[in-house]
Amino acid sequence: MLKIEDLHVAVDGAEILKGLTLEVPAGEVHAIMGPNGSGKSTLSHTIAGRDAYEVLSGGVTLDGDNLLALDPNERAAKGLFLSFQHPIEIPGVQTMNFIRTAMNAQRKARSEEEISAADFLKSIRAKAKLVGLNDAKIKRPFNVGFSGGEKKRMEMLQLVMFEPRFAIMDETDSGLDIDALKMVGDVVNELRDPSRGFLVITHYQRLLDYIKPDAVHVLADGRIVKSGGPELAAELERSGYDQFIEAA
Amino acid sequence: MSSTPLINPSPLETGLRAAFAARSQTSEAQAAAFERFQKHGFPNRRVEGWKWSDFNAALRRLQPANDRAGAVAIAPSDFAGLNPIEIRIVDGRIIVPGNDAVEGIEYGIIDPVGASPHMDDHAIAALNVAMTRKALGIRVLQGVELVRPVLIRHINSGSTPVFSQTLARAEEESRLTIIESFEGAGAYYSTLFHLGVREGAQVERYLLQNAGAEMITHAFCGVMMSRSAKFKQTSLSTGGALCRHETHMLYPSDGSESRIASASLLSDERHSDFTTIVGHQGEECTTRQLHKGVVRDRGRNIFQGKFLVERTAQKTDAKMTANALLLSDMAEANHKPELEIYADDVECAHGSTSGALDDDALFYLRQRGLDEHCARALLIEAFVGEVIDGIPDDGVRNIFGARVNQWLEAV
Ligand SMILES: Nc1ncnc2c1ncn2[C@@H]1O[C@H](COP(=O)(O)OP(=O)(O)O)[C@@H](O)[C@H]1O
Ligand SMILES: [Mg+2]
Repeated sequence: MLKIEDLHVAVDGAEILKGLTLEVPAGEVHAIMGPNGSGKSTLSHTIAGRDAYEVLSGGVTLDGDNLLALDPNERAAKGLFLSFQHPIEIPGVQTMNFIRTAMNAQRKARSEEEISAADFLKSIRAKAKLVGLNDAKIKRPFNVGFSGGEKKRMEMLQLVMFEPRFAIMDETDSGLDIDALKMVGDVVNELRDPSRGFLVITHYQRLLDYIKPDAVHVLADGRIVKSGGPELAAELERSGYDQFIEAA
Repeated sequence: MSSTPLINPSPLETGLRAAFAARSQTSEAQAAAFERFQKHGFPNRRVEGWKWSDFNAALRRLQPANDRAGAVAIAPSDFAGLNPIEIRIVDGRIIVPGNDAVEGIEYGIIDPVGASPHMDDHAIAALNVAMTRKALGIRVLQGVELVRPVLIRHINSGSTPVFSQTLARAEEESRLTIIESFEGAGAYYSTLFHLGVREGAQVERYLLQNAGAEMITHAFCGVMMSRSAKFKQTSLSTGGALCRHETHMLYPSDGSESRIASASLLSDERHSDFTTIVGHQGEECTTRQLHKGVVRDRGRNIFQGKFLVERTAQKTDAKMTANALLLSDMAEANHKPELEIYADDVECAHGSTSGALDDDALFYLRQRGLDEHCARALLIEAFVGEVIDGIPDDGVRNIFGARVNQWLEAV
C-alpha cells in the first residue's frame, strides 16, 4: 500500500533522511521507533507533502500513485491522513466548520457527494464523545486554549471523521495519560481494516501495548536500521537506542 | 476676499480658490474656514499625522474640471434587506426619502456646520466646511429606540471634487443604527460627519468603503459622547487611490463606552488609512479598539490610533490592538498606536503586529484536504473574523461577512 524507496530528504540544505526504504502493506499497522532527531517527523511531513522538505531522490507511492507529484490536499483526498506531533491552534476558525469544509473538499476532489449538515452534525457529535471531547470543545475555535492531550484527542477525532485509507500517527502518544492512550488504541483498533494501513511513529513502547503492530522498524540517522516483529519494541524498551545509533 | 495665499498651489487648490471666490452665499464661518484651509493647503507627508497619506501629492495629480457628474443608475443597496431609511448623497446632492415618515426620527436638509471640535488646523475638514452648501440632518428623539437603520449611501461619479456633511444626534436614552456606504467612482470626495450621542443613548455606526480604485476619499467623523453614552463603530474598507477614515471621539463626561473596530482588505495599489483619536476627559470611560489589515500586491494599510487620557479621566479603561497580515513582499502596513496619559489611575494598553500567513497553519489545513486558495482564504477570514464577529447587528454582520468572502474569492 505505502511504499517508500531509498528516500533522501533535505531540510534547509541538510540531508535528514538518507536512503529510507519501507513498505506497509494494506491491512497492516507498522510502527517506527527512533530517538529524538532521527528524522521521524521529517518522514511524516515529507509523505504529507510539506514543501520545506526537499526530496533529493527516491520515491513514495500510495497504492501505486506517486505521492511526491501531488499537492498536500491531493494526497489527503487520496486518503492520506497525518496526525501531527504538534497540532496547531487556529484562532478564528470554528472547529466544526473547518472539519466539515475539509471533509467536503476531500469528497469533492474524489467526485463524491458532500455530507449534509445534519449527517455531519450527528456524526461529529457521536465521534467527539468517542475520543473524549465534549460538545463545547468542538464548538470552539480550533484547538484554541486546548491542553496538549486535548489537541491529540482532536487529531483522533479527525482520524475517525475522515476515515482515511492510510494514517500516519506522529507521536500521538507523547504527553498522553493512560486513559487517553487506551482511547487512541481503541480508535486505531476499531479502524483496522484489510484495506487500510497505519504508520505509528513513537519512541515509547507503551502505545504498542494497545496497538499490536504487525511490524516494528527502527529509524536512526535517517535510515531504517532494523525491522522486526512486535518483540523488537520490547527489546528497544529494555536496551534503548544506543546500539542503533552507534551502528548507524 | 481671502488674503492668505497658498504657497505653490496645485491646480486643484487654485481651482478651489476660484470656485470659492465665485460663490455668492458664503457665511462668515465659511470664509474663515477657507482661510484656515488656505493657510495650510492639502496636507503633505511632512505634516504630522499625514506621513503615510499624502493628500497633497495625490491631489496634485487631479486636474480641476467642471464636468458635472452624469446621472448614474443606482442599483439597490446591499443593505436593502435590512429595511433601512435610505438617504442618498449623490455627487454631493442629498436625497431624502419623501413620504417615508418614521416615528421618532427627524431628518432633512439643513444648514452646514461652521466649525467642529477636533477640527482646528485640519485643512481638509476646514475646506469641507467652506465648500459644503447644505447638510443632512438626522435626529432621533429622546427615548426612541429606532428599529430601522438609517442608511446613507455616498455615491460618486465624475471628476469634480465633492463635499458633504451629516449632522446627527441621538437624544437622551435613544438608540440609533446608522450605516454609511461609499460607492461608485469619483475623483475626490470629502465628507464630514458629526454625531452627538446624548446621555444614555446608544449608537451603532457601520461604514462600508466600497468605492472605486481611483477614488480619493477623506471621511471625517467627530463624535461627542455624553454621560453613559455608548458608541459602537465597525468599518470595512477595500481602500482606494487614497482613502482615509478619521474618527475623533471625545468623552467630556463620565461612563461613556466605545468599541471602534475596523478592517481593511487591500489589493493592487489600494490604500486605506484609519486614523482615530479618542479624548478621554470624564471618569470611568471604556474604549476598545481593534484594527485588522489584510494587504496583498502593493496595497498600503495605515492605522493611526491615539488614546489621549487627560488628568481628569480617572479609571479610564482603554485598549487598542492593530494587526496586519501581509500577503506579498510589496504589501505595506504602517501602524502607529499611541497612548498619551496624564491620569494616574487608569488601565490602558496597546499592541500592534504585522506578519505573513502562518506556514504551519497553512500546511495543517492543506493536509486536511483544503487546496491552497481555500486554506489561505480560511485563515484570512479567521484573521478578519474578530472584527466581523464583534458586530452586534446580525443583518449587518452577514453583509459585512459576505463582503469579506467576496473579496477573498476575487483574490
Ligand atoms: N523545519 C526544520 N528546519 C530545520 N531543521 C529541521 C526541520 N525539521 C527537522 N529538522 C532537523 O531534522 C532532524 C530530524 O528532525 P525530526 O524529523 O523532527 O526528528 P524526530 O521527529 O525523529 O524527533 C533534526 O536534526 C532537526 O533539527
Ligand atoms: Mg518528531
